[in-house]
Amino acid sequence: MADAVELRGIRKAYDRFVAVDHLSLKIHEGSVYGLLGPNGAGKTSTIRMMIGITMPDEGEVRLFGEPFHRGLLDRIGYLPEERGLYKKMKVIDHLVFLGRLHNLPEREARKRSLEWCDRLQLKEWTSKKVEELSKGMQQKIQFIATLLHNPDLVIMDEPFSGLDPSNSVLLKDVLLELKKSGKTILFSTHRMDQVERLCDSICLIDHGRAILEGDLKKIKSSYGKNHVQMQYEGDPQLEGCALVQSFNNYGNYVEVQLVPGADAQQLLRMAAENARISRFELVEPSLEEIFIDQVGKNA
Amino acid sequence: MHNVWTLIQREYLERVRTRSFVIFTLLMPAAMAGIIIVPTKIAEMNTGGEHRLVIVANDPKLGAGVAQELTAGKSTSSSDDIGEQQSQQFGKPVTYAIAVVSDTSDAERDRLNKEVMDGKITGFLWLTNDALASHQVLYSTKEAADFGQSSDLRSAVRTAVTKEHLQQEGMNSADIDSLLTPIRLETVRVEKGKKGTSGVTVFLTAFSMVFLLYAVVLVYGMAVMRSVIEEKSTRILEVLLSSVTAKELLAGKILGIGAVGLTQVLVWVIFATLFSVPGLMAAKSFLGTMHIPVVGMFAFAVFFLLGYLLYSSMYAAIGSMVNTDQEAQQMQWPAMMPILIAIFLMNAVIQHPDSTLAFWLSIIPFFAPILMLVRILIEQPPMWQIVLCISLMLATIYGLVTLSARIYRVGILMYGKRPTLPELRRWLRYAG
Repeated sequence: MADAVELRGIRKAYDRFVAVDHLSLKIHEGSVYGLLGPNGAGKTSTIRMMIGITMPDEGEVRLFGEPFHRGLLDRIGYLPEERGLYKKMKVIDHLVFLGRLHNLPEREARKRSLEWCDRLQLKEWTSKKVEELSKGMQQKIQFIATLLHNPDLVIMDEPFSGLDPSNSVLLKDVLLELKKSGKTILFSTHRMDQVERLCDSICLIDHGRAILEGDLKKIKSSYGKNHVQMQYEGDPQLEGCALVQSFNNYGNYVEVQLVPGADAQQLLRMAAENARISRFELVEPSLEEIFIDQVGKNA
Repeated sequence: MHNVWTLIQREYLERVRTRSFVIFTLLMPAAMAGIIIVPTKIAEMNTGGEHRLVIVANDPKLGAGVAQELTAGKSTSSSDDIGEQQSQQFGKPVTYAIAVVSDTSDAERDRLNKEVMDGKITGFLWLTNDALASHQVLYSTKEAADFGQSSDLRSAVRTAVTKEHLQQEGMNSADIDSLLTPIRLETVRVEKGKKGTSGVTVFLTAFSMVFLLYAVVLVYGMAVMRSVIEEKSTRILEVLLSSVTAKELLAGKILGIGAVGLTQVLVWVIFATLFSVPGLMAAKSFLGTMHIPVVGMFAFAVFFLLGYLLYSSMYAAIGSMVNTDQEAQQMQWPAMMPILIAIFLMNAVIQHPDSTLAFWLSIIPFFAPILMLVRILIEQPPMWQIVLCISLMLATIYGLVTLSARIYRVGILMYGKRPTLPELRRWLRYAG
């Protein structure tokens, strides 16, 4: 299958600060891809180079199998992390304006905007000014603007930040539908838990470098099922336990990484002596754990 | 190009549709009309109608002479006061009903004073031999002396007295009239091959055009700047940059807002023309000298547009450097400076429009909209100079937009603080 995005060793430096350092990745068409990493890892800088807001100092960006050129931008929908709307504009005018910038004819842009507004229960608001809308409604308008021109590649930078739960679900459903229709979706976020369930492939980046890239299932299974999620009351006394390599304790829930070859049953018996265990599950590591593990290794 | 067009449309429509634009655009002519019409009406009320005067003179012949001067109108008046033009320009013609009295007693004076107080007469002129000898003639009236009327009276008295003296010296009246016909001095500007209009006119024309240019550039340049800042603060910039380039964005903004400004000026010009046509007809004599040559109008249009583009791209650059209106206020001086300097230099250029200094000053793109315009209005500089000047301006505008676009694009990547000068230099170096 062709690649919607291919980055070949791109690098971007601002002054002495290197934002992106020889990053390479491929995003297959039709996949959901997660660009993950902590704040300041270079995710947004990477995306900006993908869509020509900035140019890489070195390396090459290829989209849909072609070297980057602005003509390809009409096939991309981008929802930046810093997103806003003109407050004084009417909703429908605003959507038509953004649609036209993606080379939709005015009538088509208007028709699609109305369809989308209808679908997202914004029908009565189309002739209101943007500033009269609640924040949640403005977010919906932003989704619509991103998807209006029916892009083949949808790029969303921190899409869930600041979203209320109902809009999060709405966005997720819309995205899943897009995926079904063969669109490529790229998420960028530092909230690993949110995208873990959605992504086919990921790229973990830190300090502008890719530290892990590829198919999410493969990555996870390469770690094996040597992780335990445990719900408890009391104190399971994991500190200093010979079976435990590391653990991440949330108070009454803990994620444990076992030392290689350790027996999980033994851990269960030991923990049960000290605490009431309400759930005990042997799992693949969560993305967050993988990330912490990888960053630890690189540090 | 398609994108720029879409951006221009948005910028234009969103602004023109606002209530404040409509109100301001319509209110301005109304206010201007008010400023012009109200004083005219007041002047009419004061000067119009019949004035009943009494002239008190020992010499009835002199009294009759003054009365004749006043009623005969201004044809023989030697007055060159502005008052004359005023009373001609505004207001109905004044008619006089004049009685000549030779009783110069104090009792008569008291009686006349009373009549003035009672409003039976408008005023009386105390033209006794004593008064003439002391060169001080009193005009008593209830109304505060009105400029037009007192100047009419003054010239009537002066002319009548002079005439009488000359007659006593034995001159015939035809010679006297010809002697007293005022000589008008007119300055004529010499242009290649044809007789031009007067120097004062050029100065006035140049000055009002420069003022209009300055005002519009200021208002709409600031609008460009504020709009750039708004796009940063509402965070819509990055959304837009995913489909247009920063340069397209700025170009669309500058052109769109410029179109708004043109619309406004156009509306005002139409209003002004409608309002002033009757006035122009009435005041032909005065405004005849305000004639603006066609070349001048064309030059004004060209330099007006170029000046706007140049300065608004400067304002755009400032807007792209700062994050708030307050910061922008402090950063404005680099854009204001050249235009102010140009206004200061204007006088020097008007006096010696063909000097080497004037040439060099007027081809500097930042001064050109004012100084080259002035030179074109005064004397037509060689064509190559105008072409050179316009090319330099176009190049500067392009350069400034490119520069601003770069600052703009890098500026969004670095939120929070205003760049220092060295930082700015580095920003400009970032190839992309």
